[in-house]
Amino acid sequence: MSENMAKDMHKNMYADMYEMTVGIECHVQLATKTKLFSAVDNDARGKEPNACVSPVDYALPGMLPMLNSQAVVLAVRMGEALGAKINPRSHFDRKHYYYPDLPKGYQTTQFYAPIIGAGKVVLPNGHSVRVEHAHLEEDAGKLTHFGDYSLVDLNRAGTPLIEIVSQPDIHSAEDARLYAEELWRLATYAGVSFGDLYHGNMRFDVNISVAEKGAAKLGTRVEVKNLNSFRSVERAASFEFERQAGLLAAGRGAEIRQETRGWSDATGKTTTQRSKEEAQDYRYMPDPDVPPLNLSAEFIAGILAEMPKLPAAYRAAFAGAGIAAETVEIILGHQILAVRLLEVLELDAKLAVKVANLFTGTLLAEENAGLDLSVASGERLAELAQMNEGGELSSTATKQVLVELYDTKNSEKSAKILAKEMNLLQENDDEALEKIILGVLDDPAAASAVADVRAGEMKAVGFLIGLIMKNSGGKANPARARELLLKKLG
Amino acid sequence: MTEKELQHLADLSALSLSEAEMAALGGDLERILGYVRQLDELDTTDVEPTFQVYEMENIWRPDEIVAFEADREELLALAPESKDNQIKVPKVL
Amino acid sequence: MSSVIKVASEKVSAVELVAAALEKAKKFAEYNVFTSLNEKAALAKAAEIDKKIARGEKAGRLAGVPYALKDNFSSREGKTTASAKMLENYRAPITATAVKKLEDEGAIMIGRTNLDAFAHGGSTENSYFGATANAHDKTRVAGGSSGGSATAVALDIVPFALGTDTGGSIRQPASFNGVYGMKPTFGAVSRYGVVAMASSTDTIGVLAQTAEDTQMLMGLLAGKDEKDTTTLDDFLAAAKSEKLKIGVISDFMGEGVDDEVAKLTKDYIEKLKKAGHQVSEVKMPILKYALAVYYVVVPAEVASNLSRYDGIRYGFRAKDAKTLGEIYSKSRDEGLMPENKRRILIGNFVLSSGFFDAYYLKAQKVRTLIIKAYNEMFAKYDVLVCPVAPTPAFKIGENTSDALKMYLGDIMTVPPSLAGLPALSVPAGKTASGLPIGVQLIGARRSDAILMGLAAEIEGLK
Repeated sequence: MSENMAKDMHKNMYADMYEMTVGIECHVQLATKTKLFSAVDNDARGKEPNACVSPVDYALPGMLPMLNSQAVVLAVRMGEALGAKINPRSHFDRKHYYYPDLPKGYQTTQFYAPIIGAGKVVLPNGHSVRVEHAHLEEDAGKLTHFGDYSLVDLNRAGTPLIEIVSQPDIHSAEDARLYAEELWRLATYAGVSFGDLYHGNMRFDVNISVAEKGAAKLGTRVEVKNLNSFRSVERAASFEFERQAGLLAAGRGAEIRQETRGWSDATGKTTTQRSKEEAQDYRYMPDPDVPPLNLSAEFIAGILAEMPKLPAAYRAAFAGAGIAAETVEIILGHQILAVRLLEVLELDAKLAVKVANLFTGTLLAEENAGLDLSVASGERLAELAQMNEGGELSSTATKQVLVELYDTKNSEKSAKILAKEMNLLQENDDEALEKIILGVLDDPAAASAVADVRAGEMKAVGFLIGLIMKNSGGKANPARARELLLKKLG
Repeated sequence: MTEKELQHLADLSALSLSEAEMAALGGDLERILGYVRQLDELDTTDVEPTFQVYEMENIWRPDEIVAFEADREELLALAPESKDNQIKVPKVL
Repeated sequence: MSSVIKVASEKVSAVELVAAALEKAKKFAEYNVFTSLNEKAALAKAAEIDKKIARGEKAGRLAGVPYALKDNFSSREGKTTASAKMLENYRAPITATAVKKLEDEGAIMIGRTNLDAFAHGGSTENSYFGATANAHDKTRVAGGSSGGSATAVALDIVPFALGTDTGGSIRQPASFNGVYGMKPTFGAVSRYGVVAMASSTDTIGVLAQTAEDTQMLMGLLAGKDEKDTTTLDDFLAAAKSEKLKIGVISDFMGEGVDDEVAKLTKDYIEKLKKAGHQVSEVKMPILKYALAVYYVVVPAEVASNLSRYDGIRYGFRAKDAKTLGEIYSKSRDEGLMPENKRRILIGNFVLSSGFFDAYYLKAQKVRTLIIKAYNEMFAKYDVLVCPVAPTPAFKIGENTSDALKMYLGDIMTVPPSLAGLPALSVPAGKTASGLPIGVQLIGARRSDAILMGLAAEIEGLK
């Protein structure tokens, strides 16, 4: 038995015997221009270390926080996206600990009274995960380690975050990933975050415990910190499940310690970082320097009136139009495509099905990577789909025009104009088509096929259509050509 | 307050106190905290705490970048040690 | 007495005013008033002002007026030390709003004044640079923490100085030195750039020689500042002269109060009556708990606010610190004074898990009761009166061995701080041995102008 086979066998055995219980804390970086408490540039991408640092972020003596209103607006939107109650009254607290990337010696967060209350996230597979609460807080800076020293860059210190804390409602590694992905969709659709995972816009801490199926008590909780991709969330949960289940199965459950572990993408393993026995006492204290929030119903309603559509609304609309669920999920990966598809749907549901398939089959194909997905409006897309529907464009030609529609230099051109320019319009002009058909019938090369058809050998029709298409330069509508041909041949 | 408790407090405070300091400050703390316990005489059931004396709420600023008085060079010049536009510290373990 | 502030003009130049102040500052060097003098920059600025005046340009309402700055205000002029080794060589790259406002009016800072390190204390004995002496008796304390500012004004080195008051740090040294000391309503003056002590009670105010100057200066300093979100819109309009209802806090007139302090306070109350104000005695038994509340809440905020002094980004870093942990603990141990450490330890104790509810939360609830008691009182009275401190200035070294005894001296100044109320220390004569005594006028929030107006009225009766 190979090693892999043995692994698979264990995996199946564990999955039968044990169950994982997972809760996820997700940090979402907010799409604000400035930091949470200082009016300094919040976008440090491509900038030098400490370029985005004000005296407030540097925590000079006598500096005071100035709350960013947009962070509050985005928190309200995030709350709505999480199906959560917005707590009208909330305030900020200081969480104390010493670290070189924490200039004030405390992080300003919301510990006692968070802005977002309990909510619920429904995953595409129908499972749901309750949100315990979510709160606003500031990020810390970044440390880079060298031989015998470390360097501190405070560009990220003070960046606004929303931390979303889930209930331990997740019971598979796949659901852990689906939950992370859904949070990403919710945060980006609501305009709360740019969702740039590469730049750490979303980070996940996965709390996982494993126990025998049906056990009344949960197992020892292990936290895997700082995962920055959906795949690593799934892999880490899966690895931890097998590690902990393996220990339990071997009667070594006591070796599972309550601890913080780190994840390595390269090795595909988690390793011990810090045991909980060294748990810190953060001495949370309400921050006297930041006046509390007391949001009126009108204020919240005003924000919600401008709320962008959420994935659930798109899912419902697209399913209603008969678009396949897996197609919908792929499209939802790109908010702008969901927006465009809905525009098409509002014009004609039947066309939307076509456009959806064009998106997944062509636009999102690897060879078209790099296109600006926002270029083509719903109206232009609907026109394109209509041309295909009406027989003006072949499927191949439709795909060719689609790609051109997304070229920014064509942004002023309609699908029809492009098709014309590209000489792709199908010949639906019967007179022209008849001429071509007559030409084919006169062609000596076609003589035997013509004879076959006349004799009832219908297989030869295809050969003749092929010739017609060739002579029309691909523009003939094959269905119409067949009709006319058969008429001619009686 | 035991020596262990006081040491824990010193650790939380990031202070490396000498034995003499520990002894002196430990005694002070006991007496001050003892004095403070007189608050237990008061019934504070259903009393809300006051964290801020101003009756202000929702004080915030627009999300617009403003220029600050001191730039990176001036700030980093204050650091006991810096390198490559960053603050230098002994290796963080 | 009217304003003692002499503004530079054709008759008296700014250079003359500033040079005279600097000369006096040096003459009184033994009082240890200043942590540093700003001689060169001050004289250069004075010359600038004189040129402006000669050209007929506007030079500000305080053109050429020399003043002293408590050394916990950031300014690009010189070092901002907070009288602590931690910031001994700290040059602030920013300027506090209050300082900026005075600069904009042409006032000239001639030096930084001594304080208890990080403003922790009531005697200026907790300064890394040594104690400041009382202007009326060199063997006695200046009070604190704004001891240097009070002595500078009392010695007439400058007509006014800036101070900070968290639990009495302007009022008590003003009382000990016989000058006016105004602690405004919380939020009246921007805290931006001022080394924070306790964020919920820190206030910025002035120490001056006359009630009129105090009023004028507070008017210049007050107002909204976008860099301090807790600032209030300017409300320091001139007080209407009318007969006030005044309550004398009898709880602070009996036991534990020095006889001469009580007597001089009563004399001042007689003047209030003579001026036609309606005076009666009031009882506020809850106030005896204020000190306990203060020594929970303020250390907690102190511990938090002083977390940033870690030897990483600025300030003192211990020479022999090798590891990161040593940079923190050794720099803080060497860079902070014993009183700073005492308060940090208390603060971290009351905030730590297991003690938060019993100490910190309990104290903040009692604070609510204190505020409620004041509100009830101010529904009936315009102004409350009591002494500033139970005793006149004590001997240097007299109380340093007993931290709790030292704290008990704050019993009368702390209550208004916890409630964010304005309170003014008014000179009320001297004891037989020549030590000044201050009386405290306390008002409802935003009633600062009434207090200063009343003090000016009584001052005018002399």
